[in-house]
Amino acid sequence: MRKFGLHLGLLIACALIILPPLWALRTSLVPESMSYSTDWFPSLTLDNYRSLFERNHFLTYYANSLIVACGSVLLAMPFATATGYAFARFRTGGRLARFVVLATQMLPPVALVLPAFALLRGAGLSNSLTGLVIVYAALNLPFLTWILMGFFEGIPADLEWAAMTDGTSAWGAFWRIVLPISLPGLAAAAVLGFILSWNEFLFALVLSGPSTATIPVALAALQTSNGIQIGKVSAGVVLAIVPLMIGSIFVQRFFVKGLTFGSVK
Amino acid sequence: MASIELDRVSKRYLENAYSVQDVDLKIEDGEFVIFLGPSGCGKSTTLRMIAGLESISSGELRIGGHNMNKVSPRDRNIAVVFQSYALYPHMSVFQNMAFGLKMRGADSSEIKRKVNDAAELLGLGSLLSRKPGALSGGQRQRVALGRAIVREPQAFLLDEPLSNLDAQLRAEMRLELTRLHRRLGRTMVHVTHDQIEAMTMGDRICIMREGRLVQSGKPLDVYANPADTFVARFLATPPMNLLPARLSKSFDGALSLEVESHLRLTIPIRHLPAYQHEAGKPVTVGIRAEDIYESQLDPRWQPIEVEVTSLEALGAENILTGRWGSLEIAARLGRRFLPRRGDRVTLYVDAEPVHLFYPETGKVIPRPPL
Repeated sequence: MRKFGLHLGLLIACALIILPPLWALRTSLVPESMSYSTDWFPSLTLDNYRSLFERNHFLTYYANSLIVACGSVLLAMPFATATGYAFARFRTGGRLARFVVLATQMLPPVALVLPAFALLRGAGLSNSLTGLVIVYAALNLPFLTWILMGFFEGIPADLEWAAMTDGTSAWGAFWRIVLPISLPGLAAAAVLGFILSWNEFLFALVLSGPSTATIPVALAALQTSNGIQIGKVSAGVVLAIVPLMIGSIFVQRFFVKGLTFGSVK
Repeated sequence: MASIELDRVSKRYLENAYSVQDVDLKIEDGEFVIFLGPSGCGKSTTLRMIAGLESISSGELRIGGHNMNKVSPRDRNIAVVFQSYALYPHMSVFQNMAFGLKMRGADSSEIKRKVNDAAELLGLGSLLSRKPGALSGGQRQRVALGRAIVREPQAFLLDEPLSNLDAQLRAEMRLELTRLHRRLGRTMVHVTHDQIEAMTMGDRICIMREGRLVQSGKPLDVYANPADTFVARFLATPPMNLLPARLSKSFDGALSLEVESHLRLTIPIRHLPAYQHEAGKPVTVGIRAEDIYESQLDPRWQPIEVEVTSLEALGAENILTGRWGSLEIAARLGRRFLPRRGDRVTLYVDAEPVHLFYPETGKVIPRPPL
């Protein structure tokens, strides 16, 4: 009897999480006028999707999001990797450095938005994708560093010592031994960084312009003075979620591998 | 020439805290030296300083006569075998073994030849394409050895390489390592906490404790002539019995040990000159468990009455723990002697190999070796 209650509870929790996206999926495939009808599938249409791409330049925003998310990850990862390794192996900066890195994550984003805007403006990068890439890279750097630091701490230093006695320098040991082994962890961190950038709204709102907006901003803009076009918003949401789902499946596989990693007895 | 000289080498990690202090040791070229000691005694740190993985706080390290204090590990031409083997998990056995040679710019035909030779020597021929994850513990250990051998270093440094193996495999590998040393003739420094490895494998053992080198010498010499109670107890299973006693001189000049009011042991005559001057003073008596017997095969052996508190039957022999008076004593006895708990038995002590130690310092009271 208790098991039944447990299962029921779990079912309800699952429903609470899954039903909204499912509803968005359903609403995206249903004509705008029937969005709120109680029938699940009154009639199916791809009009919402088509309209997004044709009338709302969704392809541009999709591309912008991809460029910004990928670009910020590519920019941040080398720094995060090197810093994480330095923290893990050489205890660079001691506890103070680590704390500072962690502390920057505790700042409310709102406090950083206007200074970021001012800085980008000064550099002539306001409303640009480049500016957004740089800002996202900076925002994600502490988080990525922290994850990678934890990951590197989990790799036994024995391997690098063996490599150094074998004939590499400290850098050689890092490049030839640690990095190849860390690829799963690096991939997981990169995907996490991608997801964070992809979903980010506040900085995108303030720092991007009409042609450089990202998906979250574009979706918010669908709220017009005529009301919310829920069908198109749902379509946009579905499109926005797809890369995240792919990314999450990827991360999950590597996260497990990364967590149970143990090459040395 | 690959002699290794440690000239008052120390490793400091805080203001006044040393993990290794003033280690003075000369290892000859081709010698097989064992560093033995309990966990945390500094033996691994010393090894790592020789390898260059740990910096030297003070003192000088010379390999082949050249000062190596500041030389990076890869330029020291030594090979290390780690306790965890530290095999590169993303490379095959062949690539693991080839790595060192590749780093030194050897060409692929030379690499192939050397790796295959080493693989054959260690029985790894069929495993060359496997990755470390697909190997057993013993196989991984041999790959770690192979990786070291292939480089033809001037010295091998082994950091508890056998600790992770089961008892049988360990016994096999002990022999194999000894054979390897004889065949290669290179200097080997082996760190372990296992005294069987220490006794059987080394030309010389160096006992370390709390960062200091306590005693070094040939295994049997150190066994027969421990420098202090620590060495005496460490190099034996069960540990040497250490009993407080008073050295008393009787009217006819004989020396005896008063262990408790009714418990005495007579000091053999040959030791009288060495112990004369300590007459009347308290001493610590060291009696090895293997010097106590269940039957008096030699009339000079002295009887003691022991109440059995436990008997560990190991198959080939038995370890008896009991009470002599109020003191606990352990004895290594034949496998057919099986008293029960609570029995009072007469055991016989061979007092010739007995050692006396100063109670305050634990240092041995010197006497000529037997």
